Amino acid sequence: MSLLSDPPAERVQRPPAEVRHADELARLRAADDAPRPPGWALSLRAARAFIVGDAELGIVRKFVGDPSLIDRALVSLATNRGLLLVGEPGTAKSLLSELLAAAVSGDSTLTIQGGAATTEDQIKYSWNYALLVAEGPSERSLVPAPLLRGMAQGRTVRFEEITRCPLEVQDCLLSPLSDRVMAVPELPGDAGMVFARDGFNIIATANTRDRGVNDMSSALKRRFNFETVFPIADFDTELALVEAEAGALLRRSGVTAPPRRDVLEVLVTTFRELRSGRTARGDEMERLSAVMSTAEAVSVAHAVGMRGWFLRGTSGSAADLVSCLAGTAAKDSPEDLAKLRRYLEQQTSWRTGEQWRELRDARRELPGG
Amino acid sequence: MSLTVIGVRHHSPACARLVASTIAAVRPAWVLVEGPAEMNGRIGELLLEHELPVAVFTGYADEQRRHASWAPFCDYSPEWVALRAGREVGAELRFIDLPAWHEAFAERSNRYADAELRYAEVVERLCAAFGVDNTDALWDHVIELEPAEGAAERLAAYFDLIRGSSAAGASDTAREAYMAGWIRAACAAAGDRPVVAVVGGFHRPALLRAVSGDGPAEWPQVPQPPAGATAGSYLVPYSFRRLDAFAGYQSGMPSPDYYQRLWEAGPVEAGRHLITAVAGRLRRRGQPVSTADLIAARAGAEALARLRGHHHPARVDVLDGLAAALVNEALDVPLPWSVRGEIATGQHPAVVEMTAALSGERVGRLHPDTPLPRLVHAVTADLERLGLDRPGEFTVDLLKPEDQARSRVLHRLRVLAIPGFERSIGPATGLDPVLAEEWTVRDHEHRLVALIEAGGYGATLESAAAARLTQRIEEAAGDLGRLAGALFDAALGGVTELVADVPARLERGVAAGTDLGELGRVLAVTLALWRHDRLLATAGSATLGTVVAAAARRILWLAEGWHGAGAPADPPRIRAVVAVRDALLHAAEVGVDRAATAAVAGRVAADRAAPPDLRGAFYGLARMLAASTVEADPAAAVRGAFAAGTAGDWLSGLFAVARESIGDTLDLIDDLVGGLGADDFLVALPALRQAFEFFPPRERESIGERLLARRGLTGSGRDLLRASVAPQIVAAGLALDERVEDRLARAGLLAAGDLG
Repeated sequence: MSLLSDPPAERVQRPPAEVRHADELARLRAADDAPRPPGWALSLRAARAFIVGDAELGIVRKFVGDPSLIDRALVSLATNRGLLLVGEPGTAKSLLSELLAAAVSGDSTLTIQGGAATTEDQIKYSWNYALLVAEGPSERSLVPAPLLRGMAQGRTVRFEEITRCPLEVQDCLLSPLSDRVMAVPELPGDAGMVFARDGFNIIATANTRDRGVNDMSSALKRRFNFETVFPIADFDTELALVEAEAGALLRRSGVTAPPRRDVLEVLVTTFRELRSGRTARGDEMERLSAVMSTAEAVSVAHAVGMRGWFLRGTSGSAADLVSCLAGTAAKDSPEDLAKLRRYLEQQTSWRTGEQWRELRDARRELPGG
Repeated sequence: MSLTVIGVRHHSPACARLVASTIAAVRPAWVLVEGPAEMNGRIGELLLEHELPVAVFTGYADEQRRHASWAPFCDYSPEWVALRAGREVGAELRFIDLPAWHEAFAERSNRYADAELRYAEVVERLCAAFGVDNTDALWDHVIELEPAEGAAERLAAYFDLIRGSSAAGASDTAREAYMAGWIRAACAAAGDRPVVAVVGGFHRPALLRAVSGDGPAEWPQVPQPPAGATAGSYLVPYSFRRLDAFAGYQSGMPSPDYYQRLWEAGPVEAGRHLITAVAGRLRRRGQPVSTADLIAARAGAEALARLRGHHHPARVDVLDGLAAALVNEALDVPLPWSVRGEIATGQHPAVVEMTAALSGERVGRLHPDTPLPRLVHAVTADLERLGLDRPGEFTVDLLKPEDQARSRVLHRLRVLAIPGFERSIGPATGLDPVLAEEWTVRDHEHRLVALIEAGGYGATLESAAAARLTQRIEEAAGDLGRLAGALFDAALGGVTELVADVPARLERGVAAGTDLGELGRVLAVTLALWRHDRLLATAGSATLGTVVAAAARRILWLAEGWHGAGAPADPPRIRAVVAVRDALLHAAEVGVDRAATAAVAGRVAADRAAPPDLRGAFYGLARMLAASTVEADPAAAVRGAFAAGTAGDWLSGLFAVARESIGDTLDLIDDLVGGLGADDFLVALPALRQAFEFFPPRERESIGERLLARRGLTGSGRDLLRASVAPQIVAAGLALDERVEDRLARAGLLAAGDLG
């Protein structure tokens, strides 16, 4: 058994979306009678149902957000513009991009991870240097990267965190997006021009917090349709999601006590208020510079549950919440810590409920308190 | 009995078409319309040739509550179409709903709001089932864009589904019982001739049930307002912008201009017009919109329509297409048509233009024969009674009761922006001791028009001014200057109690304030009005009490977050702390929390990152409150804060809030100042001077005497305060001495020990 090619399948930590939801995709394909855009694995309607859910076909809802966002995203992918998902960290942009790619192409693995060290080689193609030296440039010695593969096979290419790449690296997407062609000048003859097949498009994601790191050229911006993914607007939806996700994580960590509902309510309220800079009563306050996303709330809820269970054998309490908030929300920023302390001092006393009193009493758990 | 009940959504073109075709086909003897029954004698007024939109305005006032509400009509309102079509076939027309002043409408200002929004859960389930963002998109999806055939069945199915699972609230039940009475009576009167009733679709299932059962068949009475209350309904001109501005539970169908086009020319034309209008608006603003963008927008709208199963692009398809093509950066707030409710601030400019294009700018106009609202007559009578009905200059002495009445009337007219009434002199804040006003009254060509429009706010000058002020308070959210202005105008106009939810709005407005100095000013003025003002009759007002409490709370919140360790003293922000102290001393009963204040004061005083003036001020406040969290020994605190650069600023704050603390700290301060080097002293001097400005001259004099006594000198403290030369000259002299000594020392002509 080799190390990489055939590891035991059941131990994969997180299979890609098309594997996780293979049966749903198969059902949708079987029931799909609407016209498909050229090169697509599903029709637009079936792709939409895959993401927003369809009770009749037993398709679960996989993305909590406006259905119209999914509509616009799918239509963008069916046209000749790329799709750029922007938003705060932790708003499930990457999950959405994975689901879209799985629905449109049946394959979400053509992924480029953007970063400061990303080079054109990792986006377009590179060479097998042993073969290159032995045979010269040929299709055999060419090592295609996700973009070239997606163009040649007519598939969706995902580009994560595009604004973390340097500007000049981003701009290598220009001609694939507008002329739908990539030149491989080293290859002789017709092989030197790779024309995109039907079904090729790009889904990029970008953090609004990264805007200062690397901007995008306006030429590239014009070739993308922007879709902003917002934090979950509705309190109950967010609370339900946090409860479900944190509950699952806790069970996997061997914690049998379910998270306390009132503590989760306090947690989600706190996160939402610090994220929006506005309390339920209408007080304006500074937003924390740390990311107060739903994903972060889930991980805090997980940590709260772990603390309660492994330290005392009960569910996590509001006091555990304060300790975990300091580490996960305020991280190493003294300003955030001060803002958090001020919030606990001044914005908890006017609320009713035992759990708020408990939270307020536990404010001394903050470091330096 | 042949009864047709058409359940409609208010302001829906599809429903209006269904109403018109049904009435034309059935030719009923009676057409019953959900609308204010007290207008039944005056339906003729509505049938004059008005330019729409217009509204029936109803004002009500009694001892406990004051209420204003509108029943707006536009060309494509089903109710409006029912009246016109009914008249055409010669039917008897009746409004069959309770008057808008009735308790069933107490929470509402728009009669034609969507009833189903009050039952959010079922609507949410439907939206989720159809995969749309909100009811407006759902409505277009299942009703508005579908062909006219089968509209009646689809509407019935839609509203049966919504109503089926929800129990109506008390107010809806009362209205339904009343409307059912009218329908039964009309059916009895019509015999076997047909009857058509046009009602909100949410009520239709209940009405059908109620009518088929037994019940009295005589005509219901129109309720009369209780004794002592005033109520009246008038036609007023309306506008698309106001129609679109109702939010939350008050809202009806949005985007009047879009639906006007849809009514006139169909969905294809309406969508095309929307794209053209948005592009035109953006280009006029200098925003680039390329042809490629417009092609992308059209293509996107078509593709979205197909994906969502629409025959033609619907409103949200066109808007989504435009947004995808025109917005190429991250948005700060969600797209307004994907949420339901008030439009958030911070919208992308392209989105702002889109919503403006959807609303439109159409303004209605009444036919000249329409009776004037009572406000016009009331104002004419008021002006005659007070002798203000002729042009001229008027001087008003606020201490005389009859002049006070004149001043109030004039201020109320000013608040309503009726042209021709101007004040040249008079009190400008609650703190200045001006007791007379001068007014200029002129005839103005727009006075009558303005009064008719102001008639929309209320039937009497006081109620109209109160409604207008409420609106200003609503609009001023977060802008404290405007909020304070509105409150002061209320005091001047003698409008002491505004409508019920004003305190909550004020609280929210103050809670959104971000300027500490401005908040301090608002608190000081409001506190003064609340404590003293007998002249304006605002002393002890509950509304002002709310503002006092909210402002004090907000100042504490902002002050604790203010960082700037070396920042110079800022008098407005020091005054804010002083205002909090006064609020604590004099207005604790309105809800200024002593314990919370003491805790914040202790923390700010100890916070090294806070500006020194705030630290000093809060130290004084904490001492006054005997908070346990601060250094109890003032000498230690002063010593701790005494760094050359910031000592004066710290003392400014302290003396502003608690100047009596000079008693036990003067000797220490004298020693510390004496110990400053010459350079440090010059740096500290301006701030020190500022700090001692907080003492009145007599106290400064006694401080001077104490300083002289400490040095064993005799003399007058007063003379110390009156420098014979300007301080700049003294400072220059000190600097010169310093330089001379410095040079002498360097040249070895002066031993270091000789200095001083």
